[in-house]
Amino acid sequence: MAGIYVYSDKKDLAAELVGFAKGCGKRAIVLTFDERAAKDLSNSGADKVCLLKGDSELVENYGKSIAHLLAEQGAELFVVGATVSGRDIAARVAGYLDCAMVSEASSITYTDGKLVTERMMYGGSVQQSEVLEGLCVVTVRAGKFEAISGAAEVTTLEISADTRTTLVERKDIVKEGADLSVAERIVCVGMALDKREDLQIAHDLAAVLGAEVGCTRGVAEEKHWLPVEQYIGMSGAVVKPKLYLSMGVSGQIQHVFGIRDSQIIVAVNTDPKAPIFKAADYGIVGDMYQVIPLLTKTLKGA
Amino acid sequence: MSKVIACYKWVADETDIKVNADSTLDISKAKGKISDYDRNAIEAAVQAAGALGGTAVALTFGTPKAKQSLKDALSRGPAEACYINAEEAARADGAVTAKALAAAVKKIENVSLVVCGEGASDTYARQTAPRIGAVLDWPVITSVSSVRFDGNALIAVRRLEDCMQTVKSELPAVIAVLPEMNSAPIPGLKAVLSAGKKPVTEFKAGDLGVDFAPKTTVSALKAYAMNRKSVIFSEGEIADKVKELTAALRKEGVL
Ligand SMILES: Cc1cc2nc3c(=O)[nH]c(=O)nc-3n(C[C@H](O)[C@H](O)[C@H](O)COP(=O)(O)OP(=O)(O)OC[C@H]3O[C@@H](n4cnc5c(N)ncnc54)[C@H](O)[C@@H]3O)c2cc1C
Ligand SMILES: Nc1ncnc2c1ncn2[C@@H]1O[C@H](COP(=O)(O)O)[C@@H](O)[C@H]1O
Repeated sequence: MAGIYVYSDKKDLAAELVGFAKGCGKRAIVLTFDERAAKDLSNSGADKVCLLKGDSELVENYGKSIAHLLAEQGAELFVVGATVSGRDIAARVAGYLDCAMVSEASSITYTDGKLVTERMMYGGSVQQSEVLEGLCVVTVRAGKFEAISGAAEVTTLEISADTRTTLVERKDIVKEGADLSVAERIVCVGMALDKREDLQIAHDLAAVLGAEVGCTRGVAEEKHWLPVEQYIGMSGAVVKPKLYLSMGVSGQIQHVFGIRDSQIIVAVNTDPKAPIFKAADYGIVGDMYQVIPLLTKTLKGA
Repeated sequence: MSKVIACYKWVADETDIKVNADSTLDISKAKGKISDYDRNAIEAAVQAAGALGGTAVALTFGTPKAKQSLKDALSRGPAEACYINAEEAARADGAVTAKALAAAVKKIENVSLVVCGEGASDTYARQTAPRIGAVLDWPVITSVSSVRFDGNALIAVRRLEDCMQTVKSELPAVIAVLPEMNSAPIPGLKAVLSAGKKPVTEFKAGDLGVDFAPKTTVSALKAYAMNRKSVIFSEGEIADKVKELTAALRKEGVL
């Protein structure tokens, strides 16, 4: 069946992508490996839900078969949820089809029958528009499109897996911190923090603000002072709080990419030329070790 | 001896990109650098070559400008480098890049492992490794946080959003590594000096038998406009600045 093929290992994201496909006035065919998801997606407004069944527990192993399926069915577009495993499958499919692929598109539209996409380059400082022709692959993050509803037929399809890679073990990541993507207020700590114990000044401020504590990449990945889930940016969490307040964060573009949808951005930094001030609504040029405790005290007193 | 390939990209440093008044861009004056995460990929390849008893080879596909990257790459530990020198690299998309790199891997021969960075700092497309795997029809493992080897098997730990997966694959394979993989040391003086003496193989576009026509057409490139108030309290006593800030935040209704 021709149309837009949709895949995501997150079923809510798959539903959003069906919303996109139907919004383009095209047929939407959802691929899933999960029986429960197939059931839930049967009310996603898709034209068809294909429950794929094969011999591997690693969805990535079906890349080649999905490529064959898309070519055989005359698919127009394969739109995939941008998760770790979604991105992987998408790129394998594009590789086997030797076709165009746009990763993490911020917008996708059909203009004169051609697909036009936009995405960020250079850490988020540059927006690139591309025109794609023929069958192509695009990945999209959650939250870009609205899900719709409507009954869809569910069919089961046997599909062959590449079994050269096998799953040995799977360990859930125990999330130590809060989910920053839904936090209303965030206090963000940067590499200016001298030592782990000094995180206390951030926690104290967060307590009076009712905020969660996040950080930049180095604080999590180099210092290991906060869990990796707590770092914000292009390769970390993308956040959209009412208030984001950073201390000792320089504001390199890859970090700023993750905070741009915040309502109000506040920065405290000793360097008046720090790029974070260009990305901020309000800022204080000063030492966070003086400013932050005083701010906490002032807010407490109010 | 088997070879372990480290794919690295010579990219424009994003901090040097100038934005013109009409929000068009000037990338031409930006200095080049080895894509940040590719420094971890090179280190991972050097370590893997050690573990497998093979040699690490740095591989890049770039315009003639990328020539200057070779010494830097070699100073990070690989025994040799391979450079696909082609003007076409300037317009290459994921499809072309993967085909060019895969063709070079075939030419190099006896390759047991190809290591890519998780994402290049210009594109951050995170598609090249799986695409190389598809072109070669080799197993691929992305989002790799650590690896070990057991004979001809590769055992990798992958980081997904909600779990860590341990997967096993047979060599040859392609992996994309996260920067948490290692800490990519800054090369010492001795390493820098010896880098100039290491062998470099150069391929021209025509040597590879690859179709260099990109599948995507870039239609526009513009600066992302940052529209923020940028009210910065920089003068006077800290206490006053804090007062001004709290007043402003109260007015915004975000406290
Ligand atoms: C491909 C790629 C992806 C990346 N993804 C991410 C990402 O997702 N998230 C992320 O955060 N980074 C990411 N980075 C890294 C990013 O480029 C920056 O290196 C990082 O964000 C810098 O962190 P920082 O601001 O904490 O540290 P620094 O850049 O070291 O800044 C510290 C700041 O603190 C200020 N300062 C020093 N002392 C004080 C004091 N006493 N009081 C107040 N201010 C003080 C300094 O003036 C300086 O501006 C990525 C990089 C690449 C190449
Ligand atoms: N032109 C290139 N030359 C060599 N390696 C590359 C090139 N482009 C991409 N890569 C590799 O592929 C990885 C992912 O790139 P990308 O898919 O563009 O995000 C990079 O980190 C490099 O390891």
